[in-house]
Amino acid sequence: MTNNPNDDIEVTVDKFIFRFPIDLRYSEAGLWVRREDSLLRIGMSDFAQQRNGDIAFATLAPTGAINLDDEIASIETVKVNISLPSPLKGTIVEVNPALQESPELINQDPYGKGWMIVVQPENPERDLAGLMTAEAYSKVARQQAQAELNA
Amino acid sequence: MSQAATYHTTVSWKGEHWGHIRMGNGPEMDFSAPPDALGHAGVLTPEDAFVAAVNTCVMMMFLWSAERFKLDLVSYECRAEGTKLIELDRTETFTQVLLRPRIVVHADSAGREGTLKRLQRALESAVKYSLVANSIKSKLVIEPEIETIPKA
Repeated sequence: MTNNPNDDIEVTVDKFIFRFPIDLRYSEAGLWVRREDSLLRIGMSDFAQQRNGDIAFATLAPTGAINLDDEIASIETVKVNISLPSPLKGTIVEVNPALQESPELINQDPYGKGWMIVVQPENPERDLAGLMTAEAYSKVARQQAQAELNA
Repeated sequence: MSQAATYHTTVSWKGEHWGHIRMGNGPEMDFSAPPDALGHAGVLTPEDAFVAAVNTCVMMMFLWSAERFKLDLVSYECRAEGTKLIELDRTETFTQVLLRPRIVVHADSAGREGTLKRLQRALESAVKYSLVANSIKSKLVIEPEIETIPKA
């Protein structure tokens, strides 16, 4: 595990390098959460996007109320279909319109242009406290990657 | 996912410059070298098998990715060309495999741009996930010819 000049944590497993910005929080399902004032922006982690492959379609939940573990996105990659559960409770106030035409942005720029939704949380302190730091999630990602390599 | 799988073929000498191959998936056939390498015409050669392996694998992966990208595929035909380099020391290498797929898909005028974008991504994924394309050291070049036609 190393810190690169951008202060991201980088984890190398076999030939794969996974990047985890330290200013984000992460869910077990592979989502990142970034605090932006009173809002939380959510997307898919670098590890999750690499593990699931080239994304063909991303269907995002519409704006409106969302509960913990509700599906916030249905992702169809070349290899698998996955459902991403919400890591928090609140109201979706924005979805990334670019992903409808260009879902590959999640692969190309998972922490930037590939963001998925913005949520107005009910209790951001509680929600963020329940998520992992980059350091903690990078260890989970490494374990999951190594488990797959050794399967 | 790092899981291993194995595939088998068995070859046997039939005399002179003839061989017989049994493929793991069932088919059997005679093979030889190309006529310009003291072989025989009209049968499988290692050179053709190499180029065919790339061509067939990329096509099968494209069929899969076309389904995943929800393309309404009408036809796919691809001529593949392997370029052999004979080195100074007489060793030989396939330096390049050129694939020229001709692909026809259904698309209405409103959705044509999106269809073409998805088709391009499906082709890229086909190469990225092709087992054989990933396993060769030859340069792989794709020159697609794409046509969209409206659905009747």
